[in-house]
Amino acid sequence: MKSRRLLATTMAAGAAAALTLVLLRRRLGPLRLDRGRAALRLFVRGGARYAASAPRLFAAAGEQRQLLREDLALQTAEDVAGTLGAMKGVLMKIGQMASYVDGGLSPAVRRTLARLQDSVPPMSPQLAAAVVEEELGAPPERAFARWDPRPIAAASIGQVHRAVTLDGRAVAVKVQYPGIAETIAADLRNVALLRRMLRIAAPAQDVDALLTELRDRIGEELDYRREAASQRLMAAYYDGHPTIHIPAIIDGLSTRRVITSELSGGARFAELATWPQHERDLAAETIYRFVFRSLYHVRAFNGDPHPGNYLFHRGGRVTFLDFGLVRHFTPAELQPLMQMARTICVEHDPEAFRRSLENAGFLRPGAPLTTQAIVDHLAVFYDTIREPGPVTITSDYASSVVRRFFDLRSPVAGYIAVPRSYVILQRINLGLFAVLGELSATADWRAIAEEIWPFTQGPAATPMGQAEAAWRARRPAMAA
Amino acid sequence: MTADLYATATGLIERSAAAYVSGVPEDAADDGLFGPASVAWRVSADLASPVAGLRSLLMQALHPLAMAGVDQHSGWRRDPVGRLAATSAYLATVTFGERAVAEQAAARVRRIHDHVRGVDAVTGRPYAAGDPALLLWVHAALVQSSLAAVWAFGTPPPARDSDRYVEEMMVAAELVGVPRPLVPASVAELERYVSSVRPGLSCTPAARESMAYLLDPPGLDEEVAGFWQDVRDAAIAVLPEWARQMYGYDAPPLSPGRRTEIRQSLGVLDAMFVGQPGVLEARQRITLRMRTGRPA
Repeated sequence: MKSRRLLATTMAAGAAAALTLVLLRRRLGPLRLDRGRAALRLFVRGGARYAASAPRLFAAAGEQRQLLREDLALQTAEDVAGTLGAMKGVLMKIGQMASYVDGGLSPAVRRTLARLQDSVPPMSPQLAAAVVEEELGAPPERAFARWDPRPIAAASIGQVHRAVTLDGRAVAVKVQYPGIAETIAADLRNVALLRRMLRIAAPAQDVDALLTELRDRIGEELDYRREAASQRLMAAYYDGHPTIHIPAIIDGLSTRRVITSELSGGARFAELATWPQHERDLAAETIYRFVFRSLYHVRAFNGDPHPGNYLFHRGGRVTFLDFGLVRHFTPAELQPLMQMARTICVEHDPEAFRRSLENAGFLRPGAPLTTQAIVDHLAVFYDTIREPGPVTITSDYASSVVRRFFDLRSPVAGYIAVPRSYVILQRINLGLFAVLGELSATADWRAIAEEIWPFTQGPAATPMGQAEAAWRARRPAMAA
Repeated sequence: MTADLYATATGLIERSAAAYVSGVPEDAADDGLFGPASVAWRVSADLASPVAGLRSLLMQALHPLAMAGVDQHSGWRRDPVGRLAATSAYLATVTFGERAVAEQAAARVRRIHDHVRGVDAVTGRPYAAGDPALLLWVHAALVQSSLAAVWAFGTPPPARDSDRYVEEMMVAAELVGVPRPLVPASVAELERYVSSVRPGLSCTPAARESMAYLLDPPGLDEEVAGFWQDVRDAAIAVLPEWARQMYGYDAPPLSPGRRTEIRQSLGVLDAMFVGQPGVLEARQRITLRMRTGRPA
């Protein structure tokens, strides 16, 4: 009984960690049945916990961080490698993006991903300055008229500093961790391990579709020039829009690892919750218009519709931040989505709806299911827009959407898949509705959708719709 | 045995993490036996630790008397989580705990060893857990394995720090009752010691059976088995060639690509460990104490 101590005393703690694998199997059993819960919590927990009263900027990455631990700051590139190398940077990115897959993550996995984000301290002022100097050719205090060495927010594999440009504009400067892009790019090449992780983390999902999408999106985020391009595109399209505001990119100060944009103020999501319902409805309408107008008219979707990425102003004006996760669509990719919406909402033709699902790859052709069963299963996603009239989006509705999304027990579920192109759009179901539900937002969503749908082009349904129509009338014609 | 292991293994992550956290003091009255500037602190946080642990077990099991003790007192099979958690707690306490706390923990282990005696059925030789010769083997296997794993897969300390690590670790052997003059004080001494013990080592049926189980626990999910295989391949790859031969393991040298893959898997495992309550805070406490001891 006792000399097991001999062996026991000798086992490094690491052996225990190794053995945990044996158990993962045990733990996954029950967890696999428990999915879909708490996806919303992640969104709604929007409270900013960053330093002081800094405006919230590019904050998605750090949403779960308690605060920026300057005492633990990364001082060297080696510190960065130790913290974010060996797959941890990739895991952190998955954690960031998890909000669009995390309804399918087990609580243990979600907790692990969140903790991993907590575990990444900011760069020391010297390290951040060194990156700025490498990228802009001058140390920050010369590249800018004023430079705040203390970061105001964690960001996508980097951090955000406030600064004033030499020509006097207040800006937010996002600075990437040195060496991280190379590390993550190398780790993304280990497809077998990524697949293994995703199978464990998100067994409900089509792992290969998810894997490809994650690799592409994360890969894109490593180069801030892409994000700058997406933000420029959005800013140009929405230029002069009555309620949608996209901060301008400062061209000469944006590179692969540094992105500089106009600094914006505004209230955070948590503060919006204290505003009158009328204001909340307006903010929700702007967000809704932004998401679907961008999708159908700019053919772009920001995969991070996250409370932390909005700044709110009175009268429904919203500033949209962080375009690191933008997915651009081809017209051919959008066509099936429009067909689905049209057949179920406008034409009320279940058989045509079914065919459009099959054509888009959402539903296996020839599935032994009645069309009614399919409609019953999927209609919840269209509940807010199937009929005209005011509808209040509640948290309960948002939860029911998530539950349905991850409801694997339904006989329909076995025949449904999300094709790769649309993986990111899950964020409409898992993210946008959560935000609107949190606001208890009421609007005639169907009428607003008809304004935006290219196949309906309905009349302005609200005062905001009228203002938007006026904006469209006076803006120069654009390709998008 | 399999069913037993699964039945009792639930909660290992949680319990081993809790054990680790319990060993890292919040407001330490002193720097303990090693201190923030030690190599031991750095090595113990390395993501290669699972490889070090598994390699230690593989080495230790080759000592017939050590293995016999385990085999004959195999309570650990009925409660492997408890054993591993206790071990994690002990190692964390000795490494990071205050001096008095570490000494108390070691005294407990010594008291238990005093009562552990038996006769090895294979060799017919008597053994006692308190025998400094056995304790020294166990110690040397751990120290050597930690270095081997860190060198191959982790963040290796500068060469001179390997010697420092071996020297620092002497105190751990002393704690459980090995007279200091017997304990290797440098990498070269460590290697000489291991070579000197080698003629007495063999892969007994008990060692073969136990390690075969550890290396290939039956019934793993494919994905989980993949992680396991990486740790196993890594541990076997860093065994001495003669030890691999005793077990009959066939291990082609690791390609650089495979080494990278293993490191990536170890990073994921490390992230899982950090996902447990209190682990991140414990690590941050350690980092902060190390920072204050390191030139800015």
